[in-house]
Amino acid sequence: MDANKSAPQLNVLVIDAGGSFVEECRKALEGEKCEIVVAGSCKEGLLSAETDQPGVVILDLETNDISEFKMLGNLGEIAPDSVPIVVSRNATVNVAVDSMKLGAFDFLVRPVNPKKLLESVRQALNYSAMQREGQSSEQRADKHDLLLEGLDVFGEAYSIGLEKREFLDELGRLESAAQSHAESLGQVKTKEEAIAEIHNDLLDADAIMWKYDFQKNALIQILLDVQEQFRWLPRHILNWISGRLNIPLSDIYVIANFYEAFSLEPRGRHSIQVCTGTACHVRGASELLMKISATLGIEAGQTDSSQEFTLETVNCIGCCALAPVVQIDSQYYRNPSKEQFEKIIKSLKDEEALV
Amino acid sequence: MTRLETHDDLKKFRDGVVAQRNSKATWLAVCAGTGCRAYGADKLAEALEEEVKKRGLENKIGVRWTGCHGFCEKGPLVVIQPSDICYQGVQIKDIPAILDKICTGKGDVEKLCYLDEGSGKRLEKLDEIPFYKFQKRIVLEHNVLIDASEISDYIAVGGYSALSKVLSGMKPEAVLNEVKKANLRGRGGGGFPAGRKWETTRNAPGEPKYVIVNADEGDPGAYMDRSILEGNPHAVLEGLIIGAYAIGASEGFIYVRQEYPLARNHAQKAIDQAREYGLLGEDILGSRFSFDVTIHRGAGAFVSGESSALMSAIEGHVGEPRPKYIRTSEKGLWNKPSCLNNVETWANVPHIITKGVEWFCGMGTKGSPGTKIFSLVGKVKNTGLVEVPMGMTLRDIVYKIGGGIPGGKKFKAVQTGGPSGGVIPESLMDLPVDFDELSNVGSMMGSGGLIVMDEHTCMVDTARYYTRFLANESCGKCVPCREGMRQMLNILNRIASGEGREEDLPLIEELAEFMEAASLCALGQSAPFPVASTLKYFREEYEEHIREKRCRAGVCQDLIAYEIDHAKCKACGLCQKACPTDAIDKSEDKVFTVVQEKCIKCGACFSACPDKFSAVIKVPAFTIKK
Repeated sequence: MDANKSAPQLNVLVIDAGGSFVEECRKALEGEKCEIVVAGSCKEGLLSAETDQPGVVILDLETNDISEFKMLGNLGEIAPDSVPIVVSRNATVNVAVDSMKLGAFDFLVRPVNPKKLLESVRQALNYSAMQREGQSSEQRADKHDLLLEGLDVFGEAYSIGLEKREFLDELGRLESAAQSHAESLGQVKTKEEAIAEIHNDLLDADAIMWKYDFQKNALIQILLDVQEQFRWLPRHILNWISGRLNIPLSDIYVIANFYEAFSLEPRGRHSIQVCTGTACHVRGASELLMKISATLGIEAGQTDSSQEFTLETVNCIGCCALAPVVQIDSQYYRNPSKEQFEKIIKSLKDEEALV
Repeated sequence: MTRLETHDDLKKFRDGVVAQRNSKATWLAVCAGTGCRAYGADKLAEALEEEVKKRGLENKIGVRWTGCHGFCEKGPLVVIQPSDICYQGVQIKDIPAILDKICTGKGDVEKLCYLDEGSGKRLEKLDEIPFYKFQKRIVLEHNVLIDASEISDYIAVGGYSALSKVLSGMKPEAVLNEVKKANLRGRGGGGFPAGRKWETTRNAPGEPKYVIVNADEGDPGAYMDRSILEGNPHAVLEGLIIGAYAIGASEGFIYVRQEYPLARNHAQKAIDQAREYGLLGEDILGSRFSFDVTIHRGAGAFVSGESSALMSAIEGHVGEPRPKYIRTSEKGLWNKPSCLNNVETWANVPHIITKGVEWFCGMGTKGSPGTKIFSLVGKVKNTGLVEVPMGMTLRDIVYKIGGGIPGGKKFKAVQTGGPSGGVIPESLMDLPVDFDELSNVGSMMGSGGLIVMDEHTCMVDTARYYTRFLANESCGKCVPCREGMRQMLNILNRIASGEGREEDLPLIEELAEFMEAASLCALGQSAPFPVASTLKYFREEYEEHIREKRCRAGVCQDLIAYEIDHAKCKACGLCQKACPTDAIDKSEDKVFTVVQEKCIKCGACFSACPDKFSAVIKVPAFTIKK
């Protein structure tokens, strides 16, 4: 944490077009072994950065106009080892996301909490020193990637009291999850897309947990909602839930394995459930299942390769008078013939093509 | 709507609703239970509403989406009220005729009335139709009269008057005594007296106390709880609130299977509405009694219907049973006294309170008073839900109400009690059905599934079916159940595939005895019953499978094959169309043949072949040349 002991002295460049931020900055960094250089405009700032190669550049986004973001973008080329920190009065998520995208190390809201600013500057100086010693800059890029994608969740995470460090850990885990997620879905192409998708998933999972007040004993209800929304229980969501509710992941897997409603593999967009209750059984459920299985070319418990249909058996759906019954999505059908069944499947496919 | 603060408020509200209901001369009650919805009842009801509007009859005719009427075989059902004329298999194109008939007395609706096969007559009224005539509908009575999503409908037919009676002066002890005297036995399985259970929970130390509705109707072939919760959720809720008052509980749960989405929605709606009207929550009807209910969705595990497992699931854990040295009524949910009854049991409570113990005990048998709802399914003409007084004979239920076996087939057995029950053969058909009589013959009441089996049902296959079911559903916690079921299934698979050995039967019996004695919970203890009872009454079928490699019912797939009788085949080609694996070949002599190598024995050709030809036949597999 203590940057100024080990690192050589590095400057802090403050780009402050409005002129009001410098004082805040000086107060916060009082007593730190670093020199504060002030620039009154973006242009001036860039020039100073080029010649000075400061450790940290603090940019106050006064107007949020293009020139300020452009400057942030150029900074990376002109002074690759200077670490930018962005502060702004106008702290919308979009501004924050844009800043992080352009390489900001941290994003702080004005008026800044002096302690936070100090901590952030120390970390940035440390980071800058490490860079200068030739440590991998790839690592940095990756970290930013993740930070960026997780930024929206940031606010959420803070609001329920999750510490920043825990959150960063979580994001670190995201990347490997993203890779396997992309593979398991077989649809998402790039890592970026996968991360974006996961990021959305986590927000959705949070929304579900909010509904149950983050209660531990609502775990089964939460998982049911996740299953309903995603049609399976992706590992990254289970991981996320585990952290949020403070339930060991292994306990969550025990439950996911025990109950039949849960699936640890992606299910098709349409579910085909052949009822194998007693009434259906004596009226020919196994024959119906064979017929359907042969028509679809998959066995019970399998999903077809295009992830369209999942064929399953279900113990009893309580439609015994109609036996044998097959439930396709939320519709019930009484012993459809091969032709009728093919018609239903076709209409589902057509519907999808329309969408 | 304002809260109902007092008993008078409730009464006034009821009078208002009744007047409103009576302002329309005719109501069309469309069954919107899951069964009828599968036939398209929701679209039918919408079309009815539209047509009524189009004709400008809104002030005279109302359309009501009701719960399950029970006669699922003949859906979609429409009942004209108050005349109780019942139309069956109603399609959208029949709507004009029905409205004509109501308005002018003329309309071609005869084909929609029930056809009595014996007399060839069309029967109009509900109480003339044999399916309804021999029933005694108490719990299901209101299903036809109310829209489950409207609390005002329930209140109009007298709903919440039992709660009002209880809260306006009855002491909890008095309520408890009524239920005890009525000897209301749990409708979910074992038939344990509900009053005694309530008393145990009431007297057990520990606060808070919980009351729970078990709507995890896992028995395959039974769906009465679903229909009650879908069609009349307030009755269950009212019973639960009364129970909570008697026991001294302030919190309740309804555990619903996730396979029952409509039941869950209706129950949730009922809870929300009851809360809004002040019948649930703080200070109910100004009585200072407070009580609230939450719904917990089950995630699909048969064993979770067992009391201790169910409570573990509500706590958010795996739904596994625990040893019950101490009953859940003393230490259940979060180790607090918890009283669990199933849907039908709770739904009986308001009736006992309003109509009295004497009335209740006037129905049924001495040991099992009241009525019981059965789901009469399988190989029977009139499938559906039937509510009869306890003590009616199986023969009456199957033949008088159920109309016997379709297609002139021969009756073989009735299976009762789901996977924990057994089969009852023809010779015991005059058995009066109640909790004790069924246990005496090696079956049980269970939740009330009656699955009728005819000569084309194989008993070995039936036993194997239940064993496979239970082997899958065993939670695996105790060895006798987990391993016992597996071995049992292995043996039965062997027999069904023609590999059975002479010594298998005594082995099954030994295994059954051991499992019954040593398993942890009721699932394992009763798991051998389906096997034991089929073996007891149909031993010769097992022996046939073992010795002759023959399945007389033509069910066990390894022992049968399909063939086409060339003498009978008219080459219509229906079988070829139906076959999913192209296993039917048109031979040179212009008739069809089954290609045995491709055949998966799904039977599609068998059912496709018109009855008048009956050219596709089942033959024992050993007769096919390889």
